[in-house]
Amino acid sequence: MNRYLLYLLLVNMLTNIVVYVPKILIDYKYDGAVSAILIAIPIGLFLCIVFCKSISAFPEQGLPEILDQLLNRKIKNIILFIFSGFWYFAGFLTLIGFTDIINRFINPEMSKVSLAVLFAIATCFIIQLPTEKVMYIVEIILVLNVPFVFFIVFKALTNEYFSWNSVFEVGTHLFSWPSFKALSAATYTFSGYMNVLIMNRLFRQKIKGINFIVIGFLSIFNMFTTFFIPIGFHGADGAQEYLYPWTTTADCLRIPYGPIERVIFLFLMLYIGITVVSAAIHWHVAFEFLKGASSKKFTKKKALLILIIFSCATIISEMKITAVQTMFLSTYWLILRFIFEICVVTFVFFLARRKKNET
Amino acid sequence: MLRSNIKTTQEDLLEKIQQTEDVVFKELFTKVESIKVFYIKTLSDEAQIQNYIIKPFYEIESPTLFLDYLKSHPKVKPFENEEKTLNQLLVGEVIVFFQAKIFLFDLKMDRQSSVLDTTVETTIQGPQSGFSESIGTNLGLVRQRYPQASLNMESSSIGKVSKTKVITLYDNKTVNQEVLKKVREFLETIDIEMFQSGEQLLDLIKKSQRALFPLMLITERADRVAINLAAGKVVLLVNGSPFAVILPTVMKDFMSSMADIYQTYWVGCFFITLRYIGLFISIVLPSIYVALTAYNPEVFRVQLALSIAGSRSTVPYPAFIEVFFMLIMMELLTEASIRLPKAIGPTATTVGGLILGQAATEAGLVSNIMIIIVSAVAISNFVVPVNNFGAAIRVVKYLLLVLSIFYGLVGVVIGFLLLVSYLVSLESFGKPFLTISEKKPAQN
Repeated sequence: MNRYLLYLLLVNMLTNIVVYVPKILIDYKYDGAVSAILIAIPIGLFLCIVFCKSISAFPEQGLPEILDQLLNRKIKNIILFIFSGFWYFAGFLTLIGFTDIINRFINPEMSKVSLAVLFAIATCFIIQLPTEKVMYIVEIILVLNVPFVFFIVFKALTNEYFSWNSVFEVGTHLFSWPSFKALSAATYTFSGYMNVLIMNRLFRQKIKGINFIVIGFLSIFNMFTTFFIPIGFHGADGAQEYLYPWTTTADCLRIPYGPIERVIFLFLMLYIGITVVSAAIHWHVAFEFLKGASSKKFTKKKALLILIIFSCATIISEMKITAVQTMFLSTYWLILRFIFEICVVTFVFFLARRKKNET
Repeated sequence: MLRSNIKTTQEDLLEKIQQTEDVVFKELFTKVESIKVFYIKTLSDEAQIQNYIIKPFYEIESPTLFLDYLKSHPKVKPFENEEKTLNQLLVGEVIVFFQAKIFLFDLKMDRQSSVLDTTVETTIQGPQSGFSESIGTNLGLVRQRYPQASLNMESSSIGKVSKTKVITLYDNKTVNQEVLKKVREFLETIDIEMFQSGEQLLDLIKKSQRALFPLMLITERADRVAINLAAGKVVLLVNGSPFAVILPTVMKDFMSSMADIYQTYWVGCFFITLRYIGLFISIVLPSIYVALTAYNPEVFRVQLALSIAGSRSTVPYPAFIEVFFMLIMMELLTEASIRLPKAIGPTATTVGGLILGQAATEAGLVSNIMIIIVSAVAISNFVVPVNNFGAAIRVVKYLLLVLSIFYGLVGVVIGFLLLVSYLVSLESFGKPFLTISEKKPAQN
């Protein structure tokens, strides 16, 4: 089993819960979210399999190295710049969304900007490390946090106030025509595999079939928790009242005999690590793309410059953007990303074909 | 070599060295021949000079036989050049001028060869003696515990002035060649005048690689050295220091004590877990206190929040000042108890710890809970078995504390995350610092 691939997907699935996806899905709960989820699983899995199979034609190579062999310099640089923009934006949205959550639920008196500074610094420290070390950090954070996340989900599912009737009610809207927005939000669950474009540098062996089976099961479980647990707690109609349905859901839970009584603090403390790591993966990929695109030797000064641009852009937009605007932005970004993802998979597929034909 | 050449060498040497009262230059005569000995009597063993040089010189009758004796004696090295000869003279070898030849007779006096008891890394059971301050004895101790033909050693000298002898020890069969190469490079790049102990290497790491955490293990235990040699590590022995340096070292080495393997398996596991809990407590507890009292009292149950607030009701300033005040007092106490003579040490800690703590709460300067926290931090910090690593942990908690002052709970969590990432980014001679499991070294 290739554990790094699994980590990439798992991190994406976990961040999926906390930021925008549940809100979008719940908004469309009567208008095609359920069917979109059901369609999203085969689509996402298919894209993931095609992508992983194609990229295994280039063992231990990231996208910059692959393009070096097959395309000329200028086209390569343009592609890398566009790609890095996409990845930067992914990490950006996660950070912006999460600082808003922290601001609302943990530190309401603190300015969002100063929180953004802290998050940006933490993320920037991680992204400039070598790819291998980024994955080590991801591994450590997941090992420390995931058991607790599962504990919370377990707590939620066994809670006496969890209303299965609401879940079934939403389930009856299974046959409405799937909405495209919901579909693109739901496929985000799988998006973690896109980071393989850089992390492929660490993949020595071919990715085996068992990985995809595990991913399939995880994604079903993840979609269910993302979508149905808030509905089960707040009711089919109540769930859409909240901007961050899952965080509010965590606040419904309590551990009466634990030292920390309100689960929301446990939940958010776990998610600080997970979101930072998730944003760090995205930004690391963006950073490595820019590194690959820089023509001359990549100096420390250049790296520092990129880090400063990354963090300053986040901090400045944190001052300007409101939560509703980010919600709007991320909805359309998710759609754009879905289309972009299909293009990238096709692109990599043809690159792999071309390589096979050449040899 | 011609006699005239010898004459000049001899004069040069005499000229270069200051004529103090412990420098001996003596010519001995028989009827046929004469011999000159040149040595520093405070460094060389005069009884041995009597046995090995003077007696044979008068007892062996023919000069050719005596020349053969000198040539074939295992302690004798031939002359190479003046520079080297002078250096050898300064570490205690005897220079013998005989006929047209010069010989270096290794008759150093070993003053510090007694084996010391372990004082830093004590264990309840297991071997109780550590190293001595003589490199020869230490090498012998290691050899005794590690009787392998593949044990290899390289000798080098570090320090422009001190010219300290350093021996690199490793097992040829198990050592990682890349690590070995890095260690050699590291030793070559060291630029220092006085080198007296392996601990100095911690400070000498290049500027770009400076780290908060120690990246090599300093130990005084021969059993630890032997066990690490078998695991394929490189060991440095430094002349004049009872501490050996083990490279590369990862975090789990710092968290393990030799006592772990002198216990049953599960008890050993329990102790290791206990140490990690201690480590976590001593890093996080002060900052958690600040975060929970000043930012998020709602995290805990209401009763606990109230009792903390109640205990803090007499304290006139914010939580972080209270924490800083007590932590600094605690650090001062620790520092003072190291410096104080052994006889006064316990008194100082009692006065400082018990009376000061009690009085501070009664005066309303700090809360009761704060005293509990500070003592918990201090105690759990000493659970870390290796002193250098414990010292690094002492520093780390302040960084977390600063973050918690500005960001509360979020700061603590992010600080911990940053700490983990920093530890991940460290490498000890090519080995990631957080390596948890190591494969058994392949036999090359």
